Amino acid sequence: MSSALDRRAVLTEYILSHQADFYRLAYSYVKDRDAALDVVQESIVKALSKADSLREPAYVKTWFYRILVNESITWFRQGKRLVPLEDQLEQEAAPECDPGARLDLYDAIEKLSEKERTVIRLRFFEDLKLEEIARVTGANLNTVKSRLYKGLKHLKEWTEEDDIDA
Amino acid sequence: MHEHWKEAKERYEAIEIPEDLSFATESAVRRGNRRYLRRWTLRRGWGAGLAACACFCLLVNGSPAFASAVSSLPVLGDLARIVTVEQYQINDREHLIDVRLPALTDTGNTDLEQRINTEIRTRIDQVLEEAEERAREARDAFVDTGGRAEDFTPIIIDVDYEVKCSNQQYLSFVIYKTETLASAYTEIYTYNLDLTTGTELTLPGLLGPDWKERCDQVIRDEMARRTAEEDAVYFTQDQGGFSGVTDDQAFYLDADGNPVLFFEKYEIAPGYMGIQSFSVPLP
Repeated sequence: MSSALDRRAVLTEYILSHQADFYRLAYSYVKDRDAALDVVQESIVKALSKADSLREPAYVKTWFYRILVNESITWFRQGKRLVPLEDQLEQEAAPECDPGARLDLYDAIEKLSEKERTVIRLRFFEDLKLEEIARVTGANLNTVKSRLYKGLKHLKEWTEEDDIDA
Repeated sequence: MHEHWKEAKERYEAIEIPEDLSFATESAVRRGNRRYLRRWTLRRGWGAGLAACACFCLLVNGSPAFASAVSSLPVLGDLARIVTVEQYQINDREHLIDVRLPALTDTGNTDLEQRINTEIRTRIDQVLEEAEERAREARDAFVDTGGRAEDFTPIIIDVDYEVKCSNQQYLSFVIYKTETLASAYTEIYTYNLDLTTGTELTLPGLLGPDWKERCDQVIRDEMARRTAEEDAVYFTQDQGGFSGVTDDQAFYLDADGNPVLFFEKYEIAPGYMGIQSFSVPLP
């Protein structure tokens, strides 16, 4: 039981000190303040109640991000959000529709597919290593790499910038 | 990092953090810890013992000497008491679990109480764990064969107990566990305790060395009577029906301290006959 207590202590400390990161990541998915707070809360409750499945405290970050990303995507898919039709159309419109307009990189990321977007955000905004992203997303490393390169390729096209590769 | 990424990251980091984030975080931490402890209690409860789908009878039968003649009013303080120590429900997509867990107190024998209470806890823990495993397997199989996870019918488990006999000498109770997946199946465990000696009661101890003959006789007579008078149906010998009691025959004590032998569903009769029980009078 003592190791379980330790795990929860590690987890609690991690959660309290990184809450702003969680909020930003959740917000980048759900784009709504209250929804992002919900997602963060749900993730924390889930994480703590399943603290036993955190076998290796050194992996607390990727372990927690996995829950957080899943919660964000689930929220998105569950239609908890009722989006006015025009907003939806606007958001889903492929940038190719307007080839003349160059997109800002940040906005271009929004146009990526969900999987590519997750890899890009974790890599460039949360500074995770590719191996860590693989653990978060549950995909293997090569899949992560291929999503990253496809994502970057799209971004290059849409922003018409050549130095996107970072 | 290139300029564009720097700008993009700045925009990302400029996402405004609401003031109530830390309140939200802290309350979620509290909720999560509470939920963890609930789960942990439950898991601990799943200790040892029983297989699935069952109803157990834990018969803590105080000693039989049917002091039960004591049918008169027992002095409350003198009696061992069975109290509900834990009661909980779990309702989620995979299970609907309802548990009322008994514990033995006030027997004047702490060792006995500890042993029995640990055993109860361990058994129920294990049963629930196994049930959980089955629910998971059933659900995975359902999904693998094209079902949608959200359409899966949750497994339903009820654990409850009943005190059958309680007096100065004997305490007998049964724990039932009923598991419903497609059809309900109840398994019974029995405990029979002699409170004066702190030991478990046995049929030979209660009925004497010729207990098997006595029991067989009572059961055969009663089966014949029920068949004739109540249209009861029992399996024949070659269908796997009753062929005499065995050393591990399950029983509990009735309120008068007489042993009641029982057979689980399908054991000696078709399923619709349910659990079959036979009261064998003490010599």
